Amino acid sequence: MRSAPILAVDALSRRFGAVRAVDGASFEVEPGSITSLIGPNGAGKSTLFNVVSGLLSPDSGRVVFEGQRIDGRPPHRIARLGLVRTFQNARALTRLSVLDNLALAAPQQPGERLSTLLVAPGAARRHESETRARARELLELVRLDSHADALAATLSGGQRKLLDFARALMARPRLLLMDEPLAGVNPTLRLQLLDHIDAVRAEGGVTVVLVEHDLDAVMRVSDRVVVMSGGRVIAAGAPAEVRADAAVVDAYLGTDG
Amino acid sequence: MNAIASGEFWVFVGVIAGIYTLLGLGIQLEFGFAGLLNFGHVAFMAIGAYTMAILTVKAGLSMWLSAGLGVLAAAAAGIVLGLPTLRLRADYFAIVTIAFGEIVRYVATNEDGLTGGSQGTINLAGPGQASEYNGSWERFQTWLQHALHVGSSDVAMLLVVWAAALALTALLAASARTPWSRVLKSIREDEDVAASLGKNVFAYKLQALALGSAAAGLAGCFFAWQFSFFSPGDFAPLLTFFAWMIVILGGLGRPWSVPVGALMLGVIYAGTRFFDFPPFSYFDSAERAYLRLIVIGVVIIGLVLFRPQGVLGRREELVLE
Repeated sequence: MRSAPILAVDALSRRFGAVRAVDGASFEVEPGSITSLIGPNGAGKSTLFNVVSGLLSPDSGRVVFEGQRIDGRPPHRIARLGLVRTFQNARALTRLSVLDNLALAAPQQPGERLSTLLVAPGAARRHESETRARARELLELVRLDSHADALAATLSGGQRKLLDFARALMARPRLLLMDEPLAGVNPTLRLQLLDHIDAVRAEGGVTVVLVEHDLDAVMRVSDRVVVMSGGRVIAAGAPAEVRADAAVVDAYLGTDG
Repeated sequence: MNAIASGEFWVFVGVIAGIYTLLGLGIQLEFGFAGLLNFGHVAFMAIGAYTMAILTVKAGLSMWLSAGLGVLAAAAAGIVLGLPTLRLRADYFAIVTIAFGEIVRYVATNEDGLTGGSQGTINLAGPGQASEYNGSWERFQTWLQHALHVGSSDVAMLLVVWAAALALTALLAASARTPWSRVLKSIREDEDVAASLGKNVFAYKLQALALGSAAAGLAGCFFAWQFSFFSPGDFAPLLTFFAWMIVILGGLGRPWSVPVGALMLGVIYAGTRFFDFPPFSYFDSAERAYLRLIVIGVVIIGLVLFRPQGVLGRREELVLE
């Protein structure tokens, strides 16, 4: 397992005014692994995700994805490299249909260019029907196919999480960043979603990084756990090692006294 | 009144509604599709009209070529405005567009040498020299009148304006089913999501603004042809809000709602001229002119209360969460 990391975060920092949300965080992600990022609220996990995915730019530090520096690049360029994220609150595009939410995510669609629509409308149409077919397959996978033509606004919170996950898969990621995929999802759906995540890694070769508060789930699915506190990485290792780490126990339990 | 029964009058209302349709299509694309709050739309109409008139009169280009360049100039102005401002947050962008609309109008008012100044295009060729930019248009109108055997050149104008308006509406409706508009709508819904899925949000916004501005530029050319002279005062902010009213009356995101909304606005606006019975007759005609805007306001409030999605809109799309 000592292949080159698919993602390397090196001394990354991002401030908001006087608050150092991410303060020199470093860690690496092995290709084909499931890595979880845990830590108390305010540890900087979501900010770190936002910086890695390009929605925020870092103040300092580096992010290297598959050997290329991506820190400070715009989010759409990072996504096109195969680094795709989901959102903590799922962020369904509510006034688009469920199917369109997914179809949107397909990469390199000729029909998204006006020039192609004018010059080669046939090619655009063929590609679009392939896109829609694949979107339906993914909707079947997460059991939302019966909602395909409904507006995404009609989905429940848990269903929106599944939609967000399927939408990210539609983008054909090589690295998938998932921000609290289990938050607000009922226990049955949780198990389903965890199975999906495991399957995507096993069958699709997709590397997964999770931010998650459900420690039982984290310990069960992760190959590696990275613990953040106060914007820094305070521990990293296999789930069992991390669980035994005194600093982790301190970060979670110590502050309350 | 006999005016209400006069065909001529309603032909005029129809021409104006057709021009407003073109103007409204721009807002439908920019806001209904891409979510851009453009409150300076009228400026692009002015740029289209002035470019066409100035190139015809001053550069001696053919009116048709000038009109094409007028539409291109409006699109280019959209790009020039968009490049520095489309990265702003939605509300800041809205403020900038209001300012842009006013700047264009003030420039047109004060650059006498270029635009004819506050007196308008009658002054284009300089003091004491009458100028006209629409000779070719009037010949075309007359030719069409005879070719189609219609009663007047005004009817010919009506047909041309609506042919353009409906063709453009059909084009927008066709584009609404493409992956291209799907990206625009995703930006309207949540641009962070669109960007995180690999869409170049800025480039799409710029395209929407350029094309919406081109539609306004075309509206400007028709406006200029309908009235032989025009002046900066014709491009007041009210016209921008007419375009917005049309889109709200008809329904957001629905291309075919634009001609419907434009006809509604045209009929309400023109129809209120005939309120010459009590209690309206207690006001003089100038005061009554203001009543139109009140009536339009009341209609919009009623619509927002009882049919907030517009005449052709989908109610379920109002669920925003």
